Amino acid sequence: MKMTQKVLIFILAVISLSGCWSSKEIEELGLIIGTAIDLDNEGEFEDRQSGIDNGNVFKLTNQLITAETANNATNGGQSQVRAYKNITETGEAVLPALRNMILRIDKRAFGEHAKVIIIGEELARGYNLEQVLDFFRREQEMRSSTLIVIAKGSASKTLESAEPTVIPAIQLVEMIQGKERSTKILTPMPIAKMEGQLNSGNSFLIQTVSTENNDRKLTGAAMIDGNTKTLRAFLNDTETEGVTWIKGKGKGGLVRSYDEEDSQPIVYESLSMKSKIKPSVQGDSISFTVKIETEGRIGEHWDISGKAFDSKYMKKAEKATEKEIERLVKNVLEKTQEEYKMDVLGFGRSLQISHPQVWKKVKNNWDETFSDIPVEFSINVSIKEMGTSR
Amino acid sequence: MKIGSKEKLSSPQAAVILVNYILAAGILTLPRSSAEKLESPDIWMTVILGGLFAMGAGIIIVKLSQRYPGRTIYKYSQEIAGKWAGSFLGLIIIIYFFSLAAYEIRVLSEVTSLFLLEGTPIWAIIMPFMWIGLYLIGGGIDPIARLFELILPITVIIFLIVISMSMGIFELDNLRPVLGSGITPIIKGVSTTVVAFLGIEIMLIIVAFMDKPAQAVKVVLIGTGTSMFFYLITVVMVIGGLSVDGVLTKTWPTIDLIRSFEIQGLIFERFESLLLTIWIMQIFTTYTITFYAASLGLSQIFKKKIGPFQFGLLPVIYLIGMIPANMNEVFAMGDMIGYSALILFGVLPLALLIISKIKGDKA
Repeated sequence: MKMTQKVLIFILAVISLSGCWSSKEIEELGLIIGTAIDLDNEGEFEDRQSGIDNGNVFKLTNQLITAETANNATNGGQSQVRAYKNITETGEAVLPALRNMILRIDKRAFGEHAKVIIIGEELARGYNLEQVLDFFRREQEMRSSTLIVIAKGSASKTLESAEPTVIPAIQLVEMIQGKERSTKILTPMPIAKMEGQLNSGNSFLIQTVSTENNDRKLTGAAMIDGNTKTLRAFLNDTETEGVTWIKGKGKGGLVRSYDEEDSQPIVYESLSMKSKIKPSVQGDSISFTVKIETEGRIGEHWDISGKAFDSKYMKKAEKATEKEIERLVKNVLEKTQEEYKMDVLGFGRSLQISHPQVWKKVKNNWDETFSDIPVEFSINVSIKEMGTSR
Repeated sequence: MKIGSKEKLSSPQAAVILVNYILAAGILTLPRSSAEKLESPDIWMTVILGGLFAMGAGIIIVKLSQRYPGRTIYKYSQEIAGKWAGSFLGLIIIIYFFSLAAYEIRVLSEVTSLFLLEGTPIWAIIMPFMWIGLYLIGGGIDPIARLFELILPITVIIFLIVISMSMGIFELDNLRPVLGSGITPIIKGVSTTVVAFLGIEIMLIIVAFMDKPAQAVKVVLIGTGTSMFFYLITVVMVIGGLSVDGVLTKTWPTIDLIRSFEIQGLIFERFESLLLTIWIMQIFTTYTITFYAASLGLSQIFKKKIGPFQFGLLPVIYLIGMIPANMNEVFAMGDMIGYSALILFGVLPLALLIISKIKGDKA
């Protein structure tokens, strides 16, 4: 081959191979890291539901990181500019609201890095979550690893922060990841799992977040009704602890009980937990036994009488902890069975697994059936160590 | 390009071709298409059953091909059924092969433009792909086999790594209850899973190229078994991660599974592009081997050189691939091809084998 031909091929290759067809410059992107969806408060809610008004229903808040905000964050946050940028827009559905944002920002919003979607309480109570989340399940730019959280009150407030250097959406996700050390946090619920839950028709729980003094706090769980796929009620922290113990979906966490004699607190720190829901069917009557096993250590104990940790004392501490766990699980069971008549604890699922034929008969009216089913607990705590102090 | 010259395939090469051909679009859609039929987590049993059926069909095909050493279906169908009927049969098989090639490139373009190259026109994705395929098959079966030998280990390693990363969201409970709705749905679902094992029909052609045709049955068993293993892992991990109810609503459940988690601390946090890469390679192998099979058929039936047929088929494949107007039609096209293959390669080889035995002709 002649030299000129080689050069020609080289030039052609460089021209045709170097470009990227649909490249997006990072300076021109606004990375969406969190989205809050609320009901738009202006106007009459009933009007919109009946479709009289074509006005906007959803209020969407996107938390963006852009080249400018990221720069400020890395400069130590000296300037008054925040590390994030919140943009709020309304629309008659999710996508229209998102598209309305184009009118407000110069950046191209990019959803591949979305970490969390926060749904406002009012919206979750009034709207089918399957419909609300449809856009996020459909859009290929949105990853199905994005976590879903329900906000107590306004969702957009949870994306605000008093400190300019904190990025609320990322902070929220990291907090949920603290699950390993607390029983008050539920297993994270990415869209991928949520979809199966919604589609299965069973009731389930989602992590709740609330705002306190302009900061976020994880507070209990939201109960989603499997039939209407809307928010029914909230469980508080203590009840959420009970949920974690029944489901055995946790690792660490504290149980505080009292010494029977001197009523000083004993704090048990769980290092591992396991639970098994065992259904038994006799004729038409269904009952459940929940077996909870945990191993852990004494985390803190206020008894100053100088009593050594003899095995008798350990037994006593184990008993006291077992009693406290039993109180926690019975508390939440009572609440779900009697007050709300909803099975958010996975009893139906375990019946489906071990007695599929029975499940077929009861599944249509399961939440109602569940509320009258007797549940027994057998709890076994074993303390393995007591730390560096005796 | 005469058969029986230097172009010979060793038995491992034949098995590699088989595996590469079987694994294609099904990896991404099998969990959903079978979940739709079964609506129970027992899909994995259906996959095994489908694989066994495919093995059976493969053995019949091999037994038929072994009766005519050195000859492909295009040639020996004329011997069994007569010149005209045999050629007609050959043409139908050719149409099947290039329709399948067209379907594969269409699915490829849909998935890549959705997940990887948003904004790139479909023709710009397809054309380089088709041209490289043409360049490859221009060299005959030997380069095809060599390329496939390179692609398979890459596929296996990356696939196993990526899919095992989803262990974090795997829940055994999603796969239970086992046999909750009895055995009937499993049998009903076989028609879906057996289609995923399409590719076994390539034995109608490559047995003629094998240097040891006697080992062809072994090739079928190993090739189908390996593919079955792949599919099994796929459905178990996808159903275990997303649950049957979750899979039903996904267009591409396997990609969604890989998109459902992020792993921190490794160099990459996200792995769907790795999965898509090996998947694209698998589509490429299926596309090239069907393209080659179709052009080989034309050249053998019309007794002309293969080259012009290869060039001539290129626009035909492209145009057929562009016929479906939307995604539902693409899937409908896939189903149509799949079911026609069930008849074409499930029933026909057996019929031919019986006729051939009755006529008692031995080459």
